[in-house]
Order: sequence, then structure tokens, then C-alpha cells
Amino acid sequence: MKEIEDFLRENKPQVKKDPTFILETRRRLEQVEGIKSEVDRQRHHGRVALIVALCAGLAIGIAAAAIAFFYPVDAQSATEGIVQSIRLFLQNYRQYLLMPIALLAILLGVVLSKKPVQI
Amino acid sequence: MTQERFISQVREQQEPLRRFLLALCNGDAALADDIAQDALVRAYVASGSFLGLSKFSTWLFRIAYNCYIDNCRKAKPEKAPVEEAYNLPGTDTSDKSFRYQQLYQALEKLPEKEKAAIALFYFEDRSIKEISAILDMPAGTVKYQLSMGRNHLKQHIQL
Repeated sequence: MKEIEDFLRENKPQVKKDPTFILETRRRLEQVEGIKSEVDRQRHHGRVALIVALCAGLAIGIAAAAIAFFYPVDAQSATEGIVQSIRLFLQNYRQYLLMPIALLAILLGVVLSKKPVQI
Repeated sequence: MTQERFISQVREQQEPLRRFLLALCNGDAALADDIAQDALVRAYVASGSFLGLSKFSTWLFRIAYNCYIDNCRKAKPEKAPVEEAYNLPGTDTSDKSFRYQQLYQALEKLPEKEKAAIALFYFEDRSIKEISAILDMPAGTVKYQLSMGRNHLKQHIQL
């Protein structure tokens, strides 16, 4: 066993001196830095967009609440009017509405049956 | 860790790291250097998580070993070009070349863990404790891998 140990210690693999190795490493690290900064930039943009959306939502909410508070309407009569008009529309045109719904259902069935199964 | 600091640490470790991977890749220098570069990129990306609990080199070697294992899993490595051993630097004599060829051919026949343990212990002079940390196995297992590796090498190397 001693011979094997001596053989291994005497015959360590030798690597060729390669000055380009560090240069290549540096080049790759620069690329990593580029990707990192791009990811950071996009993350920052995402954060800004989220804050803007939150602020806009808040402002619209406040505005809606203010309008509802300062200009109250008779909600019940307004809603009743809308519901009534929808009911009338459905009653008058139900024979025309059923046909596109049935066509859509058939189309959906055809599309789904032809769609390949993805695993 | 800044890029410059990382590069300066890598500069010190590049030769042992490449040698370790060269042994794992059975003398395929191009593949070894490719894995080394991948390992360095991976190490740089993860350098924020390096807490200094182990030596930088131990940490780096562990990443390199994992990269090598990933590479083995991704694609079965091509037959190692053991003939490259003839063109090794500083191997002027054909006797030396023959011994390198013999070494790489024998290493090629070892299981990955035995090969890694042998390479770290005999080529890199790492302690059992360090090898244990790099290969993520208990010290007893490292000793067992070394013993098995020696036995296997003995069968393939004519002295």
C-alpha cells in the first residue's frame, strides 16, 4: 500500500499555467454582475409600480368614498332600475341569447377535445 | 464579498482547484477548467452566504465537487482523453507520461467518491476533516473511501 501512496504523491496531476483562466473568470463575473444589476433594476421597477398602484388605489378609494359621502343617491331605486332593465332585456331577447351560448358550448367542446394532453 | 477580493482569493486557489477537477475528470483539462469556471461563478453568486465557518478553499472545493457531480448527472462524461497525459507540462520523459496515463486510467475506474477522496488526500494534501467537509460525509466514511480507493488503484496500477 505504501507504493501506491508514494506513486500518488509523486504523480500529482499537473495543470498547465493558463493566464487566461483568471481573465475568463473575471469576464464571467462581470456578466454575473450585469445580470445582478438588471435583476435589481427590474425589482426596483416592480416595487415602484406596486407603490404607485397602491397609492392610485388609495386615492381612487378616497375619491369614491368622498363622492358617496357628499353626493348620496338613492341606491335602492338606482339598483332597481338597472335590475329591471336587465330583466326586461333577457325576457325580450332570450331566444337570441340561447343560440350564441349553445354555439360557444359546442365550440368549447370541440377545442377541448382537440387540445393535446400536456404532461 | 467584492469582486476584487473574490478574484484575489481565487487567484490563490485556482491551481489546486483545477488540479482537483483535473483528477476528477481523468485528465480532461478542458472539461476540468469548464467545471472550475462554473464553480467559481456559482461561488461568486453564493459568496454572500459564506460565513467563514470553514476555510474559503474548503467552501470553494465543496462547490466545485457539487458542480462536478451535477455535470456527471447532466451528461455521462465522454471517455476521458487519457492520451492528453502525454502532453502534460513538464513531463518530458516518456516514463513520466506513461505514469500519468496509468494514473488517469486507474482514476477513471474508481467510483466518484473514492476518486474525490484520493484526489483531495494525496494530490491536495487535505486533512480527513477537510475532506469530510468538502465531500459532506463523516470522517469514518472518508477513511473507508480512501482505503477502498487505494485497494482499487492497486489493482489497476502496475508498480
